[in-house]
Amino acid sequence: MLLEVKEIHVHYSKVAALKGVSIEVPSGGIVTIIGANGAGKSTMLRALSGLAPVSAGEIWFDGERIDGRPPEKIVARGIAQAPEGRRIFPDLTVEENLRTGAFLRSDKPEIEHDLDSVFGHFPRLKERRTQWAKTLSGGEQQMVAIGRALMSKPRLLLLDEPSMGLAPVLFQEIAAIVIEIVKGGVPVILVEQNAELALGLAKYAYVLETGRVSLEGAAEDLRENEHVRKAYLGG
Amino acid sequence: MGRVLAKVIATMSELLLQTMINAVYAASYMSLIAVGLVLIFGVMGVINFAHGELYMAGAYTVVGLYSFMALPFFAAVVAGMVFVGILGLLMEYALFRPLRDNPLGGLIASIGFLLILQTAAVLGFGVRMAHIKPPTQAKFHLMEGVVLTEQRLYVIMAAVGLLSALYVFLRKTKIGWAMRACAQDKEAAALQGISLNQISRIAMFIGAALAGVAGALTAPLVSPTPYMGHSVIVTAFIIIIVGGIGQLEGAVIAAILYAFVHTFVTTFYNGVLADIVGLVLMLLVLILKPTGLFGAKERA
Ligand SMILES: Nc1ncnc2c1ncn2[C@@H]1O[C@H](COP(=O)(O)OP(=O)(O)OP(=O)(O)O)[C@@H](O)[C@H]1O
Ligand SMILES: [Mg+2]
Repeated sequence: MLLEVKEIHVHYSKVAALKGVSIEVPSGGIVTIIGANGAGKSTMLRALSGLAPVSAGEIWFDGERIDGRPPEKIVARGIAQAPEGRRIFPDLTVEENLRTGAFLRSDKPEIEHDLDSVFGHFPRLKERRTQWAKTLSGGEQQMVAIGRALMSKPRLLLLDEPSMGLAPVLFQEIAAIVIEIVKGGVPVILVEQNAELALGLAKYAYVLETGRVSLEGAAEDLRENEHVRKAYLGG
Repeated sequence: MGRVLAKVIATMSELLLQTMINAVYAASYMSLIAVGLVLIFGVMGVINFAHGELYMAGAYTVVGLYSFMALPFFAAVVAGMVFVGILGLLMEYALFRPLRDNPLGGLIASIGFLLILQTAAVLGFGVRMAHIKPPTQAKFHLMEGVVLTEQRLYVIMAAVGLLSALYVFLRKTKIGWAMRACAQDKEAAALQGISLNQISRIAMFIGAALAGVAGALTAPLVSPTPYMGHSVIVTAFIIIIVGGIGQLEGAVIAAILYAFVHTFVTTFYNGVLADIVGLVLMLLVLILKPTGLFGAKERA
């Protein structure tokens, strides 16, 4: 397994957001985490990136223990995240936003090559490369967030609700790009409230409910699961 | 009759020009101080109340090295800049880092540090004004009756040079980008592999060093006292509120605006009225455009 999360707990002051969650991610394909508002999905990704403190349990990435490491060390190991709400830098240009993703890299020609390939995924960003990021539409901002994460040349990509606030046409577009990324050899953890979309893309899925994994299995099996259908797929 | 009028007009325009030059000088050292404060606030999210005392520390470095130990003036200025930059590093490490995510804590700690610096200056140099013999008495007569002293010219040149360098640094270098990214969204910056500790250190060093160099260069012009930080910190806050919190360019433009208004009112009326006008300016901005004249920031 590329990533192994063993029984982790995360507390925000008094609130327990994760209460012993374990997940595994192989070195290819998409694993999805679905769940309702406040279930702890973002907290899981934040813990993986070193933004949320893990109070118990272990996180292993490619044979190394990474819990308790600062975010920049985790990025250096190869985990990149496009966070919830996109969090692009509003007063940097599109290109500057993308280049911040390569902050830790010094292989100049390769960076230019990867920038071209991000523009290949998102031609609309190429047209807008010198525009302030805050002037982009929601969908374009999501593209910047994903492109920025790709610029670190990750070995694992975390996507937190990329479909949030987007029109259905747009998230089909984003979905197509996520598939391309995975085909390019980068495994993805996809967090979604849009369970329909997520279970359609992923191989394996976890259902998170109030800080615990309530259900897991092959994505296609979960789609048939009665509880999942009722709670997350609208009947 | 005509000749008298001509004479009055000539004197008036001399006075106007002279006042303008004085304002450029005031804008120069004020923007050095205000930009440092804005940089520290932008990157670390703390209001550094000890910023005026960093300025004071720069001035006293010159008192010590140049006045007492007779080192060359510019060596003392560079030493002051580096020394105060290091004080900044110390503050980052000992105060602001442990108190990160606690802006109020950072503010209170900086007030504590301000008192320490003041006490150190009192113990080392006494409470009296330190008079410093200017390294140069040269004057440029730009026109009949319009004078710029060389000492003031140093301050203006330092402000223009250092602030342009800072601008290029922020726009064109990787660390500069990272600094702007941190100022806009610290967590998102961390997710790009940008180390908050490293960037905070650099911001604190630069911000403090700018205050230090302002103090060092103006030392012969202002007669330092251990309490000289108070007046500049109030001014710096007014400038930042007028310019828009977290806006570097805004701070520079607001410093220029404030310096011009303040200097003109002081010259043609008096200093007390000038201070009042400054405060009124700040209140007006707070009422009419609370994000500051140049802070049009709306988060997407
Ligand atoms: N910074 C924080 N401080 C305190 N509590 C927090 C913080 N962030 C999240 N929480 C709490 O932790 C729990 C899990 O939140 P989390 O953001 O991980 O949920 P989520 O599954 O991502 O929800 P959503 O679908 O709305 O994004 C919630 O109860 C939330 O209120
Ligand atoms: Mg979430």
